[in-house]
Amino acid sequence: MLKTCGIPTEEELASRIPPKDRRKKGPVVMIECFQKIPCNPCFTACKRGAIQKFEDINDLPSIDFDKCNGCGLCISKCPGLAIFVIDETYSEDEATVSLPFEFLPLPREGEEVDLLDRSGKKVGRGRVLKVRNGKYEDRTPVITVTVPKGLSMVVRNIRVGGDLR
Amino acid sequence: MTKSKTIICRCEDVTLEEIEAVIKKGYTSMEEIKRITRCGMGQCQGRTCRSLLLAELAKATNTPPSEIKVTTYRPPVKNVKMSVILGGMEDEENS
Amino acid sequence: MKDTEIAVIGGGPAGLMAALAAAEMGARVTIIDRNSRLGGQLVKQTHKFFGSEKEYASVRGIDIGRLLSDEVLKNPRIETMLDSTVIGYYPDDGVLGVEFEGKTFVKIKPKKVVVATGASEKFLPFENNDLPGIYGAGAVQTLMNEHGVVPGENVLMVGAGNIGLIVSYQLMQAKVNVKAIIDAAPCIGGYWVHASKVARLGVPIMTSYTIKAAYPNEATGTLERAVIWQLDDRWQPIPGTEKVLKVDVICISVGLSPLTEILWQAGCEMKYVPQLGGHVAVRNENMETTVPGIYVAGDVAGVEEASSAMIEGRLAGLNAAKSLGYDDGTYSEKRLEAIKRLQNLRSGPVGEKIRQGLAQLVSSGGDYNA
Repeated sequence: MLKTCGIPTEEELASRIPPKDRRKKGPVVMIECFQKIPCNPCFTACKRGAIQKFEDINDLPSIDFDKCNGCGLCISKCPGLAIFVIDETYSEDEATVSLPFEFLPLPREGEEVDLLDRSGKKVGRGRVLKVRNGKYEDRTPVITVTVPKGLSMVVRNIRVGGDLR
Repeated sequence: MTKSKTIICRCEDVTLEEIEAVIKKGYTSMEEIKRITRCGMGQCQGRTCRSLLLAELAKATNTPPSEIKVTTYRPPVKNVKMSVILGGMEDEENS
Repeated sequence: MKDTEIAVIGGGPAGLMAALAAAEMGARVTIIDRNSRLGGQLVKQTHKFFGSEKEYASVRGIDIGRLLSDEVLKNPRIETMLDSTVIGYYPDDGVLGVEFEGKTFVKIKPKKVVVATGASEKFLPFENNDLPGIYGAGAVQTLMNEHGVVPGENVLMVGAGNIGLIVSYQLMQAKVNVKAIIDAAPCIGGYWVHASKVARLGVPIMTSYTIKAAYPNEATGTLERAVIWQLDDRWQPIPGTEKVLKVDVICISVGLSPLTEILWQAGCEMKYVPQLGGHVAVRNENMETTVPGIYVAGDVAGVEEASSAMIEGRLAGLNAAKSLGYDDGTYSEKRLEAIKRLQNLRSGPVGEKIRQGLAQLVSSGGDYNA
């Protein structure tokens, strides 16, 4: 449960998951923002108007999933690192997840990494497709990684170079 | 909790055991406790222990923290070398 | 004796904004800060800030600090005294005593004062709470982010407010293992997004847990293990729920206390408001205390976020300048805009505690000193 351990339950997540139909069409954003805090840079970052204007700065982001093309420009702008882009159309048996990753060493493109769930537990291995780490990302690199198809709603972190704990 | 090993005032090494003992003796103001134990009279000038002492006093005397009178805040708020103060006087005489 | 129109005590987010706002109106300002660089705690904040573009949302605290101090340093109306501490205020003649660059004692007689001194860390009483290895979370941030030194290898973080969560994240970034984050409250006090960030690194967050004791290594005398235990719904520890954690660092992050010495010395009416961190000055909507000409802004006015500290600073600076007669006709508009932005930041559910605190403190309807 979010408020006791920082990990959302299935029920808490349900409202933030993009509709199934939309997920079949290509990459799409999932914003795991559950608490009304005064914050709106995701709206400012979205060039397509998919993240709706905030009536009140404390509102949760509301998304027009048909306008979202999964560009991921919002990922590194979210101060809470709560934005992910999911592409369930990547291949027959794989999806991709794009996630913010502020740790060193950064993975190289093509490198295999551990896939972690929302509690930091290893759930599989994936391949890094892309590392976006330019001026725009401002030291919040965005990593796109392949995940087994069934884990697109599970993988939310990666680990480079094995378990150091 | 081993109260003799629980520090309230780090600068002057005042333990919870000592604080409770003086409260038991009837010293129930922050000012009195400060003078008797030196709690709050060290290097940091009470910045760490003041709120702990306030909480202990509130608990022991069953008083809301808002009603407990805090100690007087006097300059200087931190320790200052004598040479700093003396140098200042010198400057003034010259000007 | 040195003269200035407005003395700003503290060059953190609130103080810098106060100075910039007052200078923008035309006033001459002197900022006094005990550190050797401006920015206050912003310098240690490596995370991107919340808020809107106007509060520098998505910009890291350290970069906001740089941005603001650059602006201050190139502003001809603002003078900066670094490595200098205000050690007293003498209300009879309105003089500030300053330990200047650690070497000389300088007196300053300002026409107005903005107190933006910030806050200090609260501590906890538990057995052996003075062992080497027990730090405040802010101290750990200073050690790591300013001096590049890690505090140890395995950490127990006590407190799941924003600072506890953020410092835990930074420790993990520095490859220091955070074994657990505990909090006595039944719910996480910080933003849930910060909690999720550390949760997906595998750091357990345990609510309704508190620290019972710390124990040293026999040979070295430094911290070796911590004992935590669970609290019931009346916040009483439950015997038998003890857990032992092997840690060489305990980080205490249980809130901040406003640094109010100067306000007490000035004779400001003070009030104990737990929602704002302890004793704070009674003030009006313009950030002016009950002593005319003395303003407050930032954590010293009530512990809150840096984004609101910046706006409070702006408000205090605008009003201090206005009270000296500086107004090019834009004052009313700028004042209202700042008040509106503060209201927006505080209007949501996470602002409830602050709203409750301010309700006990702020006289509505503005200026009772007028």
